[in-house]
Amino acid sequence: MRVNNLPANGGKGLAARGTGRGEGRIAVATEAVRADTFPKLLIRNARLFAGRPAYRHKDLGIWQVWTWAQVLDEVRAFSVGLQELGLARNDKVAIIGSNRPRLYWTMCAAQALGGVPVPIYADSVAEEMAYILDHAEVTIAVVEDQEQVDKLLSIVERLPRLALIVYDEPRGLRDYDHQRLKWIDDVQKLGRDRLSDGAAGLQRWEAAVAAGKGEDLAVMLYTSGTTGRPKGVMLTFDNLIVSAINGNRFDSLGPDEEVVAYLPLAWVGDHVFSYAQPFTAGFCVNCPESPETVSEDRREIGTTYAFAPPRIYENLITLTMVRMEDAGRFKRHMFRYFLAVARRWGEKILNREKVPLHARLLYWFGERLVYGPLKNRLGVSRIRLAYTAGEAIGPEIFRFWRALGVNLKQLYGQTEASVYITAQPDGEIYADTVGRPNIGVDIKIDDNGEVLFKSPGVFAGYYKDPEKTAETKTSDGWVHTGDAGLIDAKSGHLKIIDRAKDVGRLNDGSLLAPKYIENKLKFYPNIREAVVYGDKRDFVCAMLNIDLTAVGNWAERNNIVYGSYQELAGHAQVCDMLAEHVEEVNRSLADEGMAGAQIRRFLVLHKELDADDGEITRTQKVRRGFVAQRYAPLIAALYGGAREADISTEVTFEDGRKGMLSARVKIRDVQTMPMPVMEKAA
Amino acid sequence: MRAPSGRDIAAGEVLLAVENVSLAFGGVKAISDVSFDIRRGEIRAIIGPNGAGKTSLLNVINGFYHPQQGRITFKGRPRSAMRPYEAALGGIARTFQNVALFKGMTALDNIMAGRALKMRRGFFWQLLWIGPALAEEIEQRRRVEEIIDFLKIQHVRKIQVGKLPYGLQKRVELGRALAMEPDLLLLDEPMAGMNLEEKEDMSRFILDVNAYYGTTIALIEHDMGVVMDLSDRVLVLDHGVKIADGVPAEVQSNQAVIDAYLGLSH
Amino acid sequence: MLGPVLETLIGGLMTGVLYSLVALGFVLIFKASGVFNFAQGAMVLFAALSFARLSEAMPLVLAFVLSVLIMIALAYAIEFLVLRRLVNQEGIILFMATLGIAYFLEGFGQSIWGSDIYKIGLGLPTNPIFILESVFPGGLLIDPAELIAAIICAVMVLVLAVFFQVTRVGRALRAVADDHQAAQSVGIPLNRIWLMVWAVSGLVALVAGMMWGAKLGVQFSLSLIALKALPVLILGGLTSIPGAIVGGLIIGAGEKLAEVLLAPVLVRTFDLAGGGIENWFAYVLALVFLLVRPQGLFGERIIERV
Repeated sequence: MRVNNLPANGGKGLAARGTGRGEGRIAVATEAVRADTFPKLLIRNARLFAGRPAYRHKDLGIWQVWTWAQVLDEVRAFSVGLQELGLARNDKVAIIGSNRPRLYWTMCAAQALGGVPVPIYADSVAEEMAYILDHAEVTIAVVEDQEQVDKLLSIVERLPRLALIVYDEPRGLRDYDHQRLKWIDDVQKLGRDRLSDGAAGLQRWEAAVAAGKGEDLAVMLYTSGTTGRPKGVMLTFDNLIVSAINGNRFDSLGPDEEVVAYLPLAWVGDHVFSYAQPFTAGFCVNCPESPETVSEDRREIGTTYAFAPPRIYENLITLTMVRMEDAGRFKRHMFRYFLAVARRWGEKILNREKVPLHARLLYWFGERLVYGPLKNRLGVSRIRLAYTAGEAIGPEIFRFWRALGVNLKQLYGQTEASVYITAQPDGEIYADTVGRPNIGVDIKIDDNGEVLFKSPGVFAGYYKDPEKTAETKTSDGWVHTGDAGLIDAKSGHLKIIDRAKDVGRLNDGSLLAPKYIENKLKFYPNIREAVVYGDKRDFVCAMLNIDLTAVGNWAERNNIVYGSYQELAGHAQVCDMLAEHVEEVNRSLADEGMAGAQIRRFLVLHKELDADDGEITRTQKVRRGFVAQRYAPLIAALYGGAREADISTEVTFEDGRKGMLSARVKIRDVQTMPMPVMEKAA
Repeated sequence: MRAPSGRDIAAGEVLLAVENVSLAFGGVKAISDVSFDIRRGEIRAIIGPNGAGKTSLLNVINGFYHPQQGRITFKGRPRSAMRPYEAALGGIARTFQNVALFKGMTALDNIMAGRALKMRRGFFWQLLWIGPALAEEIEQRRRVEEIIDFLKIQHVRKIQVGKLPYGLQKRVELGRALAMEPDLLLLDEPMAGMNLEEKEDMSRFILDVNAYYGTTIALIEHDMGVVMDLSDRVLVLDHGVKIADGVPAEVQSNQAVIDAYLGLSH
Repeated sequence: MLGPVLETLIGGLMTGVLYSLVALGFVLIFKASGVFNFAQGAMVLFAALSFARLSEAMPLVLAFVLSVLIMIALAYAIEFLVLRRLVNQEGIILFMATLGIAYFLEGFGQSIWGSDIYKIGLGLPTNPIFILESVFPGGLLIDPAELIAAIICAVMVLVLAVFFQVTRVGRALRAVADDHQAAQSVGIPLNRIWLMVWAVSGLVALVAGMMWGAKLGVQFSLSLIALKALPVLILGGLTSIPGAIVGGLIIGAGEKLAEVLLAPVLVRTFDLAGGGIENWFAYVLALVFLLVRPQGLFGERIIERV
């Protein structure tokens, strides 16, 4: 078979068997430049890695394997079948389901014909799907099973363009009307018949593949965003392939990696991690048996590279902790003891710092007795590299994994960037940064504190929404991330501090990232909740909630008698203690170049902020505006210079009754660090 | 949710016929002169207030109890008193009200145990566990894996069932019954003690079993909504006596039923 | 000092394997039918007697085959005459029934086979072997007959364990052990399983009887080794095959070591006579275990979900 863009001798020397790790990677790097679409990469891989596993899927308890050559065969048959059924260039193909090889192959089969895959979150309700299917003008939907077929059939009348639904799993669909419904096997059979019927079929398909170009649209990923309708992010082959290759280089990923694909197909992370990277690097993607078996499947496969949002890492820890609670006493003690050892030394050992011999010895025992078995249980024994991305990870959770010896790193990315913006290089790991710009990425921070980037992965635009595109992407190619950040002076890493729209300015022009400061305050166990104000004001003030458990303990130790939360919160010594915390926060703000945002005055609220009173959301997020309204007299006093203020608020008791709560709240002034003399940003 | 709607059950072949069956324990009458039939391919519900004799009736069909009077015809052949083992051999599988799994065994082994009757190789081969016996074990395992896939319990395959949550245990028990590839599947309160979501899942599975494997199902259930949604025909018992028998809509509007059962529960 | 201790330990372990074998007979029947078979000791005696007397008249192999058949017939008789009639009775009733079987077998065995002490000559080598002569002066003494007996027992235990773990009959047996009703409903024939279990434990009894008989001679006291199996069961758990094995080894080794190490201490410090430790040590060990871990080493933890 010949494809125009490939040289006639197609890297023959490299294709020789025994593709060692290094050799293979060189081959990838040089050839990938020419293979500028995924179908072309597939053809290249089928030659370069012919007999190596490309996709595995656990089915009926057994791992089924497809080599790259077999994948090419499957994809080609499916693709030709779709061609026969009328899939044309620029047609949109929706893909709905869990991580199954054939759904990944569908992407490539569509792309081979110039079609554009549109993966959709499989757990979306029919309504949400209807919007995307309609907006993207989808003509063919390839779905996993009956559940998804039923969903589509319930909305099919509203989607006149949707001409065909193809399904992977036939169970329960036998008796359905098959006029606009087809089983993948049948489509593939159609394709195979065509291919075996003279050379014309193959030539036609290969011509279609050859017609694809790097700047063509490769995929559309709909991002939900926090507000409004989902937007269709258009990514080209160049975006994805160059980003993936750069990502592979950043972390030295080669054809020997093993990944388990279990994240939603519609998430850009999965698209790069389970599609773009394996296609460029030639490694194997393993599809789990079911969403519930991921841990076990991961253990069986021995994943070397993982990519997940923080939630996943968090859940695994919770699971472990719960399980340990059920364990015998001896086991539990051993676990706790060695966990403490890991917390103290593990990260240092992972970072190759100097560690005393006895610590190394203890850690070695811990590895044998606790960390090793635990990692095995979680299926991360062989992991070389794990990324957390998507949102901020709790420092505790981050450190836990690193302490166990798992090389967990932070990555900051976006759909609009084809994932990669920044990542932590090995050996430069900090819990509170997201690392350095990836290869080929430039970042800058504008006057409003917003992070902007420019990279080969910058998206082509939002589908049918030039307005939004222009809002996000400047004419000279910089993309607004919507996140506020700063460059950490010590490490040179990017630090994300808040959503850009939440960042305000003091009257003197200093930047204020309220959530960032609040998180710093909440870092102290004594402070349960903090609300910071300062936007369009002269200085920053804070209202704090004490943590009853922590402060209560402290009170007991210091023989301080108190009758109620209110009394404890108003206690002078408690105020002193909190004032110290606030001063420490000020010092660290000044160190980080945010001296202007230091807290000048604060008070301790007489009651806990409560979801029942609407002051925080059910997910424990402070509703800053509402709190300001409700405690307007206190805000006035904070900025008015008063020493104390009276407040009375309506509260809802646990049994649902309402009552009034009044108090006199004291206000404290806090020491601030001097502002650095005239240091002006560009 | 019903798959091929409008099927004509009444015209179907009778799989099991119960004629004038009575059962008593000592002096207590559990079932008095009950007659009804189950037709091939249908989902048949048996309902009634507590102590109506529903489980006793299931136990009679299954061979745990032997009725003092009456006749039971299964697959066209009248049966005399028979033992549960023979009922199983004849193609009747069942689940139990309080989940009767082999608690010390894994979910996989439980379902494999359901294949006991499907294994043909004798004792000697089993002892050696090689050759044909191994090949057979692999074949049986494949069938079992299909059921595991069908019921979406891959993640608990290797877990001791005693450690599983109740809803999953019920599912494994259903799997064990399915492994027998029965002609008639008896379900004794398949949704008892489940939350709403688990009930919906189980309903879906029951419908799928009926549609996909074509298994005839007789089920006892308390949740009236479930019964009306699932079943083709409903038999109502009260104090061991049949008081109604018909399609859900008929039964629902039957005054005797409303008095005896629906009236009480509303 | 280490040499003799090791020698004792090895001897103890080999005796322990024999304990394991007897305990295994209990475990099999208890697992499958929930019956604590008090007659296991009597079965050992009966089997040994049969074999001893038969081997006087015919070649060993033939005697063995015949004895196996006798034990199977016995199992069939017990299942048909006793167990089948007592289905669904309380455990204590079944226990009483086995008590009856035990006394019947002891008496009946002597009625047909006679009540003298009989020898079993298996033709095992008797010259002691010495091992590890380079490590210990004089080496360690091992009785080859005991060694062979231990190996046979070990193989038997292993085969049974594998059989019940991986084969379908084993699975059926475990199923019956867990829930009679459910097992019946999936078409596992209870009676056939019980018959099989009794036959297998009869076979186990035969092997145990042959080994003990070869060592001590076949006599009435052989049925008392059932009592030695009790501490083994407490240690290992009534339902666990590996438990029976490990329990037997611990008891076997423990009592021999106690004899050698503990007795001198008792004599020296408390001025006791110090004899007979072998007779009570196992029970004390079992008692201590009962207090600490009543379900035994490998016994199933009772899992109840409401």
